[in-house]
Amino acid sequence: MALGGVIRGTTTTLRTPTEEDLAAYARWMADLRVRRIASIWHEPAMPDTWKERLKEQTKEKDNVLWSIEAGGRLVGMTRLGWGWEPHRDSAHVDQFILAPDEWRKGYGSDAALALHRYLFDYLDLRRVALELHADNAAARRICEKLGYVEFGRGHEVYYRDGAHVDQLWLLMERAAWDERWGAEHREYAPLGTRTVPGSVSHPKPQAKDGEREERENT
Amino acid sequence: MFGPRIAGEGGVELRPPTLEDYRQNPRWMLLPEVTRFWGPRTISETDADAEERMRKEGARDTSIVWTIAYAGESAGFTGVFDIDWVRRDGETGIFIGRHDLYGRGIASEAVRLRMAYVWKELGLRRTHNWIALPNRGSWRANQKAGYAQVGTYPRSFFRSGEWVDEWLGEAFPHTYPADRLPDAWRR
Repeated sequence: MALGGVIRGTTTTLRTPTEEDLAAYARWMADLRVRRIASIWHEPAMPDTWKERLKEQTKEKDNVLWSIEAGGRLVGMTRLGWGWEPHRDSAHVDQFILAPDEWRKGYGSDAALALHRYLFDYLDLRRVALELHADNAAARRICEKLGYVEFGRGHEVYYRDGAHVDQLWLLMERAAWDERWGAEHREYAPLGTRTVPGSVSHPKPQAKDGEREERENT
Repeated sequence: MFGPRIAGEGGVELRPPTLEDYRQNPRWMLLPEVTRFWGPRTISETDADAEERMRKEGARDTSIVWTIAYAGESAGFTGVFDIDWVRRDGETGIFIGRHDLYGRGIASEAVRLRMAYVWKELGLRRTHNWIALPNRGSWRANQKAGYAQVGTYPRSFFRSGEWVDEWLGEAFPHTYPADRLPDAWRR
């Protein structure tokens, strides 16, 4: 659970992080453009420390880390935590960071959609939540498009560029996913009705004429 | 870290936890009377593990933990957790394990003492918390010490056939009622 596997979007791919990714991680976490709009994973540190952090991440049972690629380049990372035991039916996006040089190319939207498809369509989660800096307009647009709604607002939580900024708490329910994306964004084609080899097939009971329409609509 | 001794009113006091407190708290978390708005009512440590947990929490510099004592006996615990010393923000929490003492204002007094220490000694600039919405006694205790609701997390957890929402709160030094400062800060 600690390092994520491959999730393919249209222009991006979420994949398992490697030690080769860590130099870029370190660069992003030290970039003021990133730090002003997002919560970073770790503070800048020595290369060996980053290796140790990745090693520790592999042991984590409560969260998962992915690197994000586009066009064969490493362009970002994301990390999410699972909800409370014993249900584990929700997730929380802790980090979602794109390299500043890769902003405004649609990679954030594509990777976010792919990630949520995995969470709802593959893991069958009930909901996903996250926090945003209130002035992160690009992230807010992505979240609104996905189907997130605001459920709380912390005041003057973050301090950057000489001033405080609020924190938004956002939530996306499974129903929002199903309504907006469920029909078209599936990783695998529907299997349809299948008969297990060797099993007995029971014919459906025939409806009387007056009942047919009602049954077909239920 | 453990918090210092702070004397309150009505027989309530915050004090540094003891090993016996660390052994007792998980036992309370197994009781239906006190877990309606708490965790899954399971335990994952032995008495021997409690000592190691106490050692780790005592050494952790991102949290402050107190035992809440009532009439000299442990009644629960409170604290500030996940403190971000750069942003000077932390998450507060409280747990009253002695359900026979509910309704006596112990939580309100413990929160009053805790928040005075947070603002007057720790220098934090904001705290926040999440409380089960039906747990009116808990969020009212926090409101009296300056907390305000800033959101509602819907359908957070499930109890007895019902989904329970959560009350999201925050507090700042200027929202603490100055006329309710404990004696330790009155000169």
